[in-house]
Amino acid sequence: MVLALQGPLVALDSSVLARFMPMHLLLDAGGRVQSAGPTLARMLSGTPLMNARFEDLFEVRSPGGAVTADEVLARAGHRFRLIARNGVRAGLRGLGQRLPDGQMLLNFSFGIDLIAAVRDLGLTDGDFVATDLAMELLYLAEANSAVTRELRGLNLRLEGARMAAEEEALTDPLTGLRNRRAADLVLERLCLTQKPFGVLHMDLDFFKSVNDTLGHPAGDFVLEQVGRILREELRAEDCAARVGGDEFLVLLTSRIDPHVLQGIADRIIQRINQPMAFGDEQARVSASIGIIRSPDAQTDDPVKLMALADRALYAAKDAGRGRAVLLVARAPGAP
Amino acid sequence: MDALMLRFLQGYVRETFGAPVWQSVCRRAALPVETFEPMLRYPPGLADDVAAHAAAVLGRPADTIWEDMGTYLVTSPGHEGVRRLLRFGGVGFADFLHSLEELPGRARLAMPDLDLPEIHLTERAADRFVLECRSHLKGTLRVMSGMLTAMADDFGTLCLIEPAGDDRISIRVLDQDHAAARPFDLARPEE
Repeated sequence: MVLALQGPLVALDSSVLARFMPMHLLLDAGGRVQSAGPTLARMLSGTPLMNARFEDLFEVRSPGGAVTADEVLARAGHRFRLIARNGVRAGLRGLGQRLPDGQMLLNFSFGIDLIAAVRDLGLTDGDFVATDLAMELLYLAEANSAVTRELRGLNLRLEGARMAAEEEALTDPLTGLRNRRAADLVLERLCLTQKPFGVLHMDLDFFKSVNDTLGHPAGDFVLEQVGRILREELRAEDCAARVGGDEFLVLLTSRIDPHVLQGIADRIIQRINQPMAFGDEQARVSASIGIIRSPDAQTDDPVKLMALADRALYAAKDAGRGRAVLLVARAPGAP
Repeated sequence: MDALMLRFLQGYVRETFGAPVWQSVCRRAALPVETFEPMLRYPPGLADDVAAHAAAVLGRPADTIWEDMGTYLVTSPGHEGVRRLLRFGGVGFADFLHSLEELPGRARLAMPDLDLPEIHLTERAADRFVLECRSHLKGTLRVMSGMLTAMADDFGTLCLIEPAGDDRISIRVLDQDHAAARPFDLARPEE
């Protein structure tokens, strides 16, 4: 491709050429190197450049099928892409022109491989001309990564704050157990997934008298102790919640064996029955527990299930305090 | 802009004087939080307010605190990124000074809503510059002056840098090659 000449001819000696185009390659008509810009020479260092043939230095990636410089210029419309044969990872893209005297002038840029080239070749700002946007690209890459890192940090901090707030919204601050809201959510999820589970609905006996005789701090102390007992007697996957003043709800995922449920409830009551030393005083409370199993209830309505758990708790209270009673019944209104 | 200044102030005070000092600054300023997020927005002018409280807690003028913070930003290893971004501006200190006019544009490339103050540099002579920088924050000019001092050091240039009025800094280059410049590698260090 030879352009029709227009306007005055400009003669540039090789040093001016090198200054304006530090990545140029000037080839003779046969495609042998006559001169190379300093940055390109740096990239090809280790290879003798003068009179080297273009195709020995570069592998043409596009236009496809071109091997020699002549073919590249004949086929490439706007740009061509090369990689050096000396193993440098960064590719080159370029533009070329056959000059009136038959020489071929090619000029290159690293394009998007700039960052790899700078690292691999140890380039400095002296390797780029002032008109090149290389510095801006490097700057942008670093600024971008700083912004991304900052955003990632912000996301992590916000996520941490969100989780802490969530945890706080679901926790009973006095006992460290879950609260009513959390228990409702877990119950709803268990009902939705239709996996079998057991429910212990527990109410403390004689709690009011502790409050009345020893004062509210003693009452709080008892609640804390009950929280500790529940945590110790249950698995991490179970949900133990304080859902009212001295009312607790335990949801036991995948546990419906009557003996197992009865055993857990009895153990909890037995431990709560132990006198709790509050300063010089002994706080004595007990607990009644109503037990139900989701398969017996035959409903996936949390409200109906809770009504049934209530009935089980009243049955336990009626049977005399300090007992756990398993109620095998359908939920009210269940089919 | 306030967010960035507050975040840097927080980092500077915590790292230099300890977390409890920063806590007392926040408490004194009656701030609802003790952590500022550089990507969030805060009421304009808050950075100056907080700096005034920091001045009271530390017993030194806010101007000095801002200047020291500017120096800290360039010299602290934890903020190597800041120094690197500034060094991209030029091969020598004068080059770098001229590049500051492009700084807001460069910053906008990375973060379009970061409104860095416009900077205008006048070259009075080869060794005399006046940098003009208008910001709604009083601290900005002092931070800039601290950063310039540290960057001059980075380039190994001996300078006299002093604020000249509310929105100008006068810079006199005494010895361009006073010391060896700190090395600057275009390739980012591996993390």
